[in-house]
Amino acid sequence: MRVVVSGIGLISPHGDDNQAMFTALLRGESAVRQVFPELPKPAAAATAAFDESRWFSKLQLAGVDRVSQIAVAAADLALKDAGLGRVSRGEALGAEPERVGVFTGCGMGGATALDTAYQAGAAGGRVPPLTIPAFMPNAPAAHVAMRHGVKGPVLTYSVACASAAVAISEAAKAIRAGEIDVAIAGGSEALIVPGVVVAWQAMQTLATFAQGEAARCCRPFSADRSGFVLGEGAAFLVLESDAHAKARGARAHAVLAGTGLSCDATHLTKPDAPGQGRALRAALAQAGLQPADVGYCNAHGTATKIGDLVEAEALRTVWGPAIGGLRVSSTKALHGHLLGATGALEAAITVLALEQGRLPPNAHVTQSDPACGLNLVGAVGEAAPDLHAAMSNSFAFGGTNSVLLFTRV
Amino acid sequence: MSSLVEIQELIHKKYGLDPATLDPHASLREAGVDSLTLVEFLFTVEDHYGISVPEKYSDIDSVAALAAAVDELRAAQTTA
Repeated sequence: MRVVVSGIGLISPHGDDNQAMFTALLRGESAVRQVFPELPKPAAAATAAFDESRWFSKLQLAGVDRVSQIAVAAADLALKDAGLGRVSRGEALGAEPERVGVFTGCGMGGATALDTAYQAGAAGGRVPPLTIPAFMPNAPAAHVAMRHGVKGPVLTYSVACASAAVAISEAAKAIRAGEIDVAIAGGSEALIVPGVVVAWQAMQTLATFAQGEAARCCRPFSADRSGFVLGEGAAFLVLESDAHAKARGARAHAVLAGTGLSCDATHLTKPDAPGQGRALRAALAQAGLQPADVGYCNAHGTATKIGDLVEAEALRTVWGPAIGGLRVSSTKALHGHLLGATGALEAAITVLALEQGRLPPNAHVTQSDPACGLNLVGAVGEAAPDLHAAMSNSFAFGGTNSVLLFTRV
Repeated sequence: MSSLVEIQELIHKKYGLDPATLDPHASLREAGVDSLTLVEFLFTVEDHYGISVPEKYSDIDSVAALAAAVDELRAAQTTA
């Protein structure tokens, strides 16, 4: 059974319009800026501009953290893009509510709610009574389900940086298994709060930058790379079988031809090329494709010294002599690392690249790292009219690797 | 002086419930203010007036009942 992507919705650091977001990426526009000047160490992040009043009344916002707000908005936009609407309003979801699922990746949950409660509690003040339901990591999926009356499997995957990619992969499996007809699959993350930013700084994986240079500080696959920047946002895809989409007259953006999952089982945070290679091979095998068939890879590319090197090694090993034909870019340079949501945003970008035959750039490279040996897309987007298959890599702390492989309709 | 108007303003500001449409005697739960949201609003009211609303008022379910309780508590505070 072919699973297709029939809808894309996002609340991203480059806005909530799919085409505007993609065009900004093609131009190489960075959404990264300096945040929280009060912190002792300079911090950068890519935040999403979001007007919650478009989706919520003030009363509806009680106990709803930003991570759930942007999830509801992005899922709503994905359904609209798929030509679907709200079940609760009598509009079609494209299937019986029991045959629709929500598959959501989320790394942390409601960081604002938790940060507020910690600060209030530590100061002996009042802790908001809705802190727990606001914080719990499955709240985004539950809010999406309530908004649209989805009554099938409503699940949350917390697999660090691979969360959303795993959620999309599991949604595709549920469709192939005949458990559901339509899936709303993606992820949400909103943890740009001081308490979380200082914890990430302590981890020593964030890019360093001089005053005024925040926008260009994340340089994937560049010899002088120094780490990633945090991002926030939510992205969802609507998935359904090819036959189901055709029957309701829906347009498909792309085919989700293969998914690959693996675990390194070696180290909690150190990546492992053989583990990543297993996920890459699994995706190719499921899609029935050879490495040379794939023209573009939206890399995990976190711009850490070791991360980029190991990912390049995995790609070179699996692609062998075909590696020169694989164009690679990590769009994290421009939208930051959305952690639990990043796999969904990057899947959306990969689908748009495939649909439009245009490759988003690998921005901010001063000198390409020869040790990586990849054929990187340049500093601005490039045309790729013959692109037939493209993939998105997401490799997580914890060792879980996810590869999503898309083909043209 | 009754605190009703002030509480109506507080609930309007926090949750967008307009006094012109929210009957002060109507059930807040039926208006969409669930029990935990009501606890959150009670915190706002307590902070606003510098009072503490005891457990015995926990079944309050309308703006009018809340205003009456606040009046009672403030009167007790003044006479104490």
